[in-house]
Parts: sequence; structure tokens; C-alpha cells
Amino acid sequence: MSISDATTAVSEEMASRADMIVSDGVDKWYGDFQALKGVTATIKEREVVVVLGPSGSGKSTWIRCINRLEQHQDGRIMVDGVELTNDTRNIEKIRSEVGMVFQSFNLFPHITVLDNITLAPIWVRKKPRGEAEQLGRDLLERVGIPEQADKFPGQLSGGQQQRVAIARALAMEPRIMLFDEPTSALDPEMIKEVLDVMKELARSGMTMMVVTHEMGFAREVADRIIFMESGEIVEVGPPEHFFTNPTEDRTKLFLSQIL
Amino acid sequence: MSDLLSSEIDLEKVLAGADEELAVRPDEPSLPPLEWAGKNLFGTGQGSIGAIVRGTFLTVIFAGLALLAYRAVLNFIFSENAGWDSVRINLRLLFTQAYPDENYTRVWVTVGVVAVLAGLSLGMTKVGPGFSFKRIATWLFSWGGLIVLGVLLREPSVLTDSNGETRFADSRGVELVRDTNNSLVYQNNDPAPSTGISALRENFGAAMGDRLGWWIIGLALLAIGAAIWFVLGDLRRRTTFVPAIPLALAGIGLLVSTTWWYRWGHYTFTEEGGFEYGPGELVATSTRIPWTIMFVLLVVAYLGGRLLARATASGPIRIGLSAAWLLAPFFTYYAILRGPIMDWAHVVSTDLPLWVLFAGLGGALLWLLTRPGLGEIGRILAVVVLAAAAFTWVGAFFGWFSMLQKVRLSVLFLGLTALLAPNFIGEARQRMKLVVGWVGFITIFHLLVTLINTASSIETPSEDFAGGFMVTIYVALFTMLFSFPLGVLLALARTSRMPLFRVMATVYIEAFRGVPLITMLFFFTVFVNIFLPGSMELSLMAAVTIAFVLFSAAYLAENVRGGMQAIRRGQYEASDALGLTTVQRTGFIVLPQALRVSIPPLVGQTIATFKETSLLAIVGVFDFLRMARDVVPAQTEFLGTRKPGLLFISAVYFIGAYAMSKYSQRLEKKLGVGER
Ligand SMILES: Nc1ncnc2c1ncn2[C@@H]1O[C@H](COP(=O)(O)OP(=O)(O)OP(=O)(O)O)[C@@H](O)[C@H]1O
Ligand SMILES: [Mg+2]
Repeated sequence: MSISDATTAVSEEMASRADMIVSDGVDKWYGDFQALKGVTATIKEREVVVVLGPSGSGKSTWIRCINRLEQHQDGRIMVDGVELTNDTRNIEKIRSEVGMVFQSFNLFPHITVLDNITLAPIWVRKKPRGEAEQLGRDLLERVGIPEQADKFPGQLSGGQQQRVAIARALAMEPRIMLFDEPTSALDPEMIKEVLDVMKELARSGMTMMVVTHEMGFAREVADRIIFMESGEIVEVGPPEHFFTNPTEDRTKLFLSQIL
Repeated sequence: MSDLLSSEIDLEKVLAGADEELAVRPDEPSLPPLEWAGKNLFGTGQGSIGAIVRGTFLTVIFAGLALLAYRAVLNFIFSENAGWDSVRINLRLLFTQAYPDENYTRVWVTVGVVAVLAGLSLGMTKVGPGFSFKRIATWLFSWGGLIVLGVLLREPSVLTDSNGETRFADSRGVELVRDTNNSLVYQNNDPAPSTGISALRENFGAAMGDRLGWWIIGLALLAIGAAIWFVLGDLRRRTTFVPAIPLALAGIGLLVSTTWWYRWGHYTFTEEGGFEYGPGELVATSTRIPWTIMFVLLVVAYLGGRLLARATASGPIRIGLSAAWLLAPFFTYYAILRGPIMDWAHVVSTDLPLWVLFAGLGGALLWLLTRPGLGEIGRILAVVVLAAAAFTWVGAFFGWFSMLQKVRLSVLFLGLTALLAPNFIGEARQRMKLVVGWVGFITIFHLLVTLINTASSIETPSEDFAGGFMVTIYVALFTMLFSFPLGVLLALARTSRMPLFRVMATVYIEAFRGVPLITMLFFFTVFVNIFLPGSMELSLMAAVTIAFVLFSAAYLAENVRGGMQAIRRGQYEASDALGLTTVQRTGFIVLPQALRVSIPPLVGQTIATFKETSLLAIVGVFDFLRMARDVVPAQTEFLGTRKPGLLFISAVYFIGAYAMSKYSQRLEKKLGVGER
């Protein structure tokens, strides 16, 4: 196993950054079925991590444990230095710092796009309405659909809806963004517009954890790739290494199936 | 013609004031009448003989049945001895029972309040372009056709003489007269045949002649319909609109104008408790001037509403209007119709100080609880207040100390509001919202309780001053206003994660759904007073309203729960991921969507409640049904005349229920149920 000097230098710089997400031996059961088996990984500030793995390998389960949409049973999860326990205040604090984008958008269908974005800033962050709306419009500008502010989600295309969902998450000014297959429900011609927004976000220095099947995106944007199977982390590495020279057989098999 | 059209369109803009030009989707072009009839009535167009035979057979059978029913209804409505006078003369009795004449202005003030609110609301609603000429022509055709059909269909009347006695004829149609023994004989005193005697009927020609007025109306409607249909081309017929609300107002105006030439019933009560005919001395007990004033109020309020809708602050005005609608039943019932006699000494010594205490100290407490950085202390204080509220109830139960019910409720409300406080932590403006909301709420609450506890100055023959349609409408309104929030709370409790709430709500809902409403009504009117502390007593109205509220809430809860189950899990996850609290998630995301989905069953339940108020007749309330079924037929003049009254109240119930159902359809469309 030979890693080039450049990669080492990058890794050293990375190591000096603060830990944003620490997952330490996380176990998760659904009834008798163990969905996560001692998942251990650390994600640094401004790092972009792409999680790959076959269907049912526990990617969604893991990412959802990180903002407590699922509850893990064993091990520790620390987000930005705060440990996830049953203490509701910690959960509230973490949720307001972690933005999440879902495969099925999950926009609120009964309120306008702008209201979707401003609801949480107004009621959770207690921003004055005017300020929140300005922020909302700026974010819509940033994701490229400023003209859709007053429409309802149902009137938008899938790609536009997903961009609204990203803007909604960003409106809380999170320090971390989680993406669970953000482009899987989209038609091919809409995938690019969403990925472009995500690339821009990565460049701006956001800490991101992305579950996706978009290998091009992973190769281009990821700092590290985490490969999971059957609830375990099988292999971790920078994309150039991961795609060209994987060490584990299971990784090779997976790559041979999808590439 | 084109000039005429363009001016119509301008008029339409001015009247309907379609704030935004709503694009109209052109509907299917109209089929020629014969083709339409073939396709819709006789199953042509499917290209199979079987379909045609089946279609024709069904059409003939059902048309025949419908015609028979129509004819029977018409025969009754227009028969000489139907007794419509019993309704016409008793209109006031049917609607307001024996509400005293000298106070009757109060009834008109109440109607006036409704007229003003309705006008404002109509003026402020955004409306579509209105009714297309195609639709109007179709209506005119239908009504004209129905009238002409009815004129032809109705049996020739049985002839009656000037004394109202039916006249008879033999089987050939030769008239028979009564001799001195009151038996039927021929004119020249020859005895009549013993068989083949029947009531003398008009011949067909004479009957048609008698119905000249109806002929003219029916044919005129058909002619106007035809004029619109054939003079305008198909496209223009479908794209020329008459604004709906002004059209409806014109219709109401037409109806009101009839009071000026037709006496819709008038009677006055005499000192002895009977009644006599005559317009009455008071303007309030007549029809034309009050109804005209009501109509003017409605129109003026409508125009005012149109102006307000354009105002920049129309948002808050709309909220104010909704609040006025919510409060109107309470204030019209307790402050206007009951004519409260205020006990000012009590007001000054007790009511006002209590109000100041709760508004002031409560407001201050909430201000404190919304201070940023307060932390856990807020929740603890809220729980302390709630515990105090619980303690006052427990104390009342064991009779440890006496306390005004109002105080107990106020403490409870304060505790509940304090629980909401964490959602309002923030800047002064944010905090002020909660405080102002609380002060407004507690002010209205105290005012209402004071009004409710105040004796009424209205003296009526029976104990309950409200009767007739008035009691129907108020019980229905109060039931809706209270059962709705209760139903929502029950639905939330039943879906809550806390087992205690879930079990309690489930038991409640199943228990109330398992008991017949009529049993509940008896229970509340007969038994409940036994369980109340000695000083408290439920009036009949309060008892039946509570029964209705509790019953209806159980059904509403299930409807709302159904709506909540239709919400996908992603909505909850997205709310949680954004950091919304449970209260915020419920209030902003879950309930709005759940209520939208459950509009049809909710309106269904509302309509059911409206109609089920007629069960009140059985527990001794003089409601609409009882007036028509028991009270009117007991008058010496109309002894035993039930049918017209029952038909009339059926029509009124139908109009109310149909209006609600139409409104719900509009609401559904507006909120886009099913689309999003
Ligand atoms: N609510 C649940 N109850 C029971 N089992 C579950 C539940 N959610 C997920 N699982 C199981 O946990 C395992 C991991 O699921 P997860 O959704 O995390 O997979 P994934 O890697 O995201 O797959 P995909 O790529 O298909 O989204 C699967 O075997 C799944 O069947
Ligand atoms: Mg998944």
C-alpha cells in the first residue's frame, strides 16, 4: 500500500482541523436485526465525505443517527463537540446545527417555497421575519431559482424542489450538511443542477456527508470515501486511491458492479 | 353586440373586482342538444345496441319515477287545503319562538351583525370570474323547463266553493249539490247515483288557464335561456361571465323586495298568551323595513369589504374578521339576545379586579418566561402554574375552599399558555406577541364569563327564551366552535407518544361513539345536575350544547386523525431535522395538512350536527322541528296542520346543509386538496 507524498501532506493538514462528527463504535438494531455494527469514523471541519455502499448496507441509518432521526443503541456520536444523548437540549442544539437533505425532498406542500425556507429561521432561530425573508431570497438566488419564491412546492420540478430543500437546510446556517441520496429521485437532466449546487457548497467550505451513487461527484468533490457493507465500514480512503486501487475484495466487487 | 360585450366585461371587473385576472381554462365545447341527449340519456355513442337498450330502459324508468314524485309534491304544494297560511302566518314563531315583541329589535341587531360580517367577508374573498353565460343559460333552461313541466304535470285542482267545501260530480262530470240532509243530489233534487261519485275537478283547459302566471314565468325563463344560448356563439357563451357575488346579492335583493308587496306573515301575541293577526304596532315585528335595512347593510358591507381587500393592511383585517366571526355567536347570544342585566357592584368589586390580576400578572409572568437564556426555570414555572390549577380543581372536588370557576379556568389557561412560552423566546417584539395574545384572550374570556353569568332581562313565556330556528342555529354554532378544538386535541392525544394521553383519548372517543346521541341528550338534561356541586346548575340550553359538543368532538377527532395518518413520515422527519419543537411541528406542519385532507369528513360531521339538532325536540327544547310539528298544529286556527310546516323546515334544513356542502367544495378547490 503506497500513498503518495501529496496525499500525506493533505492528510496532515486535515488532521490538524477540528473534529465535526465523531462516530465511535456505533451499534444500531432494528429489533433483532443489526443495521450498524460498530461504525467508527471521524469527519473533520470543511471535509466532504461521500458514503458508498450497496443497498441495505446501512448508509441511511448511519447518516440519520447523526441528527437523531434514528436512535443508536451503543457507542458514541459527537457532533461539533456535543454528545448525542437522550437530553433533548443537546438534540435541539445539534439539529439546529446540522442541515439534512432527503432523497424525497420532504418539502412542506401547504406553504410557499419562501415560507418553507423561512419557517425554521423565524421559529427556531427567532429571526425577525423581514431578515429571514431576505435570507430566504438570497439563498434561492444562490441555488439558482429566485423567481420561484412565491410558488408552492407542488408547482416545481423535482430538481427545483431539491434545490429548495437545500436552501431550506442552509437557512438555518448549519455547520454541517447531511445528504441522503439527494439525486436518486430525480430525472437524469435534473441531477446536474442539484450536483452543481452541492459542488458550490463544498467549495465554500461546508462540512458535508453525502450518501450518493453519483461516482462522478464522489471522484470530483469528495475528500474521502467511506465504503460500507452490511452495517460495517469496509474501506476508507481518498477517491483517487479508492477508485483506482482499492484494497478490500468487497470494495473491488462493488466497484466492478457499478462502474 | 361587441360594444355590449366589452361593457359587460368592464362591469364584471368593477363588480367582481377580480383582483388578479384568473386565467380560465376553456371547457369542452357544448354538444348540440340532440347529440347530448343521445349520449347522456340513451347510451348512444358507445356504439353498441346493448348500451342503447340499457341506457334507454334506465332513463325511462328513472324519469318516470322522478316525474311521479314531482307530481305528488306539486299536487300537495298547490292543493287548496295544504294550509300554507300556517307557515306564512307563523314565520316569526318558527324562527324565534315567543321572543317578546318589545325586544324584537334585538333579533334584528343580531341579523344585522351577521349581515355586516357576511358582507365584509364576501367583499374580501378572492373570487373567480363568476358564472359563465353557458352555465346561466343552462340554469334558465332547467328552471323554465321544470316550471313548464310542473304546470303540465300537476293534477287539475279539486274545485272548492266559497266556503272552502269540496264540490262533487258523478262519473260523467255532472255536478252534484247537497240537499237539506247534506247528502249529494243533482241540481233538480233528483237523487244522485250511489256509485261513481268523485270530487269535481277543473277540466284541463281551465286548469291551464288558471296557471297563466306560471306559464308566463316558465316560458320567459326558457326564452331568456334560449336567447343567451343561441345569440352568443359557443365560444363567447363559455367565456362571458357574470360575477357570482353581485348576482347572488341581486337575488337576495329580489327576495327582500317581495316583502314590500307580499305579507310574509304577521301576528302579535296578546296579553292573555294567545296571538292575533295583524302587522303589529312595532317596526321590529314587521318585515319590510327590517329586511330592507338588513339588505342595505349587506350591500354596504360588501362594498366596504371590496375596499378593505385593496388596503395594504388587509392581512390583519382578515384576521380580525375571522375573530369577529368566531366571537359573534357568543356576543349576539349573550350580550344582545339575552339582554343582560349587569350587576355593576359585582363587576366593580370582583370581575374587574380579577381581570386586571390575570391580564396584568399573567402578562408579566409570560414576559418573564420568554426572556432569552431563562433555561429550565421557564418549564418549571409553567408546571407549577398547571399544578396550582389542578389543585384548585381537586380542592373544589373535596369542597376544601370555594372559588369562582372563572378563576380556576384562568389559572389553567395561564399554565397552558406558559407551556407555549419557549416558542416565543427572543426579541421584545417576539415576546410581546405572546403577551398581547394572552391579554386579548383573557379579556374576551372574562367578558364572556361575566356575560354568561349575568341574568337576562328578556321575559318570555317559557323558561328558555330561545326557540325555533334560533335555538337550532345557536346549538349548531356553539357545538362547532367548541367541538372543533376539542376534537383536534383528542386526535392529537390519541396519536401522542404518551400512553396516558393515548389511552384516555381512545377511551373517550370509543365511549362517545358507542352511545346514541339521543341517550347522551337525556343523560345531560336529566342526570348531570346530580353530579354537579350544589351551587351549580346547568340550563337546558347549556346541557344539550355540552352533550352535542362532547358527542361531535369524538367524531371530529377520528376525522382529524384520519387526516394525520395521511401525512407522510418525511414531513415529520423534515420538521425534526430543522429543529422545530413538537408544538411547532404540530401547529405549522401536521395540523394544517391534516385538516386540509379531512375537509370533506369534517364538513360532513358539521352538516350532521346541524341536522341532528332536531333531536332537541325530544328532550323538551322548543327547536325548529318542535315548533313545526307540535306548536303550530296546536293553534286553534291550524289545528292538526303539520305537513306544510314540516315541508318548510325540511327546505330550510336543506338550504343550510347544501350551502355548507357547496362551501366545502369551494374550500377544497381553493386549498388544492388532492393536487398537492
Ligand atoms: N425502520 C426499519 N425497521 C427495520 N429495519 C430497517 C428499518 N430501516 C432500515 N432497516 C434495515 O436496515 C438496513 C439498512 O438500511 P438503510 O436504509 O440504512 O440502507 P441503505 O444503505 O441506505 O440502502 P439504500 O441504498 O437502499 O438506501 C436494511 O437492511 C433495512 O432493511
Ligand atoms: Mg438509503
